Amino acid sequence: MDTQWETYEVFHQSRRGEPHSYVGSVHAPDPHMALQLARDQFARRLQCVSLWVVRSGDITATDYQDDDFFARVTDKSYRDPKAFDAPDKLHPE
Amino acid sequence: MNLSLPSHNSRGALLNLLLALADDELVLGHRDSEWTGHAPILEEDIAFSNIAQDEIGHSLVWLTLYEQLTGRTPDAMGFERKPEEFMCCRFVEYPKGDFAYTVVRQYLFDLAEKVRLESFLDSSFEVLGETAQKLLREESYHLLHASGLVERLGDATEESHRRMQAAVDVAFPQSLGMFEELEGEQELIDAGVFPGNKALLSGWLKQAVPFLRKVSLTPPVKGENESCTVLCPVDDGGRNGRHTEHLKGLIDDMQKVYRLAPGPNW
Repeated sequence: MDTQWETYEVFHQSRRGEPHSYVGSVHAPDPHMALQLARDQFARRLQCVSLWVVRSGDITATDYQDDDFFARVTDKSYRDPKAFDAPDKLHPE
Repeated sequence: MNLSLPSHNSRGALLNLLLALADDELVLGHRDSEWTGHAPILEEDIAFSNIAQDEIGHSLVWLTLYEQLTGRTPDAMGFERKPEEFMCCRFVEYPKGDFAYTVVRQYLFDLAEKVRLESFLDSSFEVLGETAQKLLREESYHLLHASGLVERLGDATEESHRRMQAAVDVAFPQSLGMFEELEGEQELIDAGVFPGNKALLSGWLKQAVPFLRKVSLTPPVKGENESCTVLCPVDDGGRNGRHTEHLKGLIDDMQKVYRLAPGPNW
């Protein structure tokens, strides 16, 4: 029997309206314990109003081996927003 | 902050109550800190270190209130007293044991803490209620953490059940010492400061017993609710300075630096 706890990916929100940002992962036996443990790992020093946890296995991800997935084989510089300054913050203070 | 006493006679007993609260938190906080670097899983290592800091922080809150009434500083109370002057219950003094014992102790303690703090909310000594309200916000998460682990380990596997039951067998008689009567307690009950340890014990049993049974653990108790009878001896004496042999070692450890250089500025 595998007694190793599963991992959960943790997303942290510092203020209402801000996006949840990925901060790391925790081992936990289930989602509720994962939230509690995430509180101890990630909300202890950082200000926090909300946490999300997602079972790592529930995330569908791209494959690093599959370079072609992100390939740019022709010049696509026309897509780069060079003609104007994009603000650093989409959510101003 | 309104520090006027509910009655003149209750002063001594009130100071006993504050010290009992402060010393329980200080000593258990120290025990919890002994898991730092040793817990069975990294996440619990950090959780217990976090809880240790919280408990010691709560101790400081009670000792600061004690200082306002007596002039004795929290540092003096924590670092200059001898073991026999401490008023913690024996329950919090025992070595941390295995993780099952730690989890069971933490659950039984946190639940008692919640029952005790809730009983302060309408205290005639107003500052007690205000302080309780503040601390309950953190304590309820300690209880959630501990009860979550008890729930999951109580009947997860044959081994986890066996170890959790063994922990309950050892911890339960010790835990009853949390409710030992304080010197002068009747004064506090009469003055409406708190309902007294007998009432707290009954409130605690009403929650602890059904919870443990629900997760397949058997406390040494017959019946339930009002008709519940405790079947084991009570390991008390701490509130009257009769401590376990373990307290001295813990205090030697805790006071080591302070004794080398008394009165430091931390």
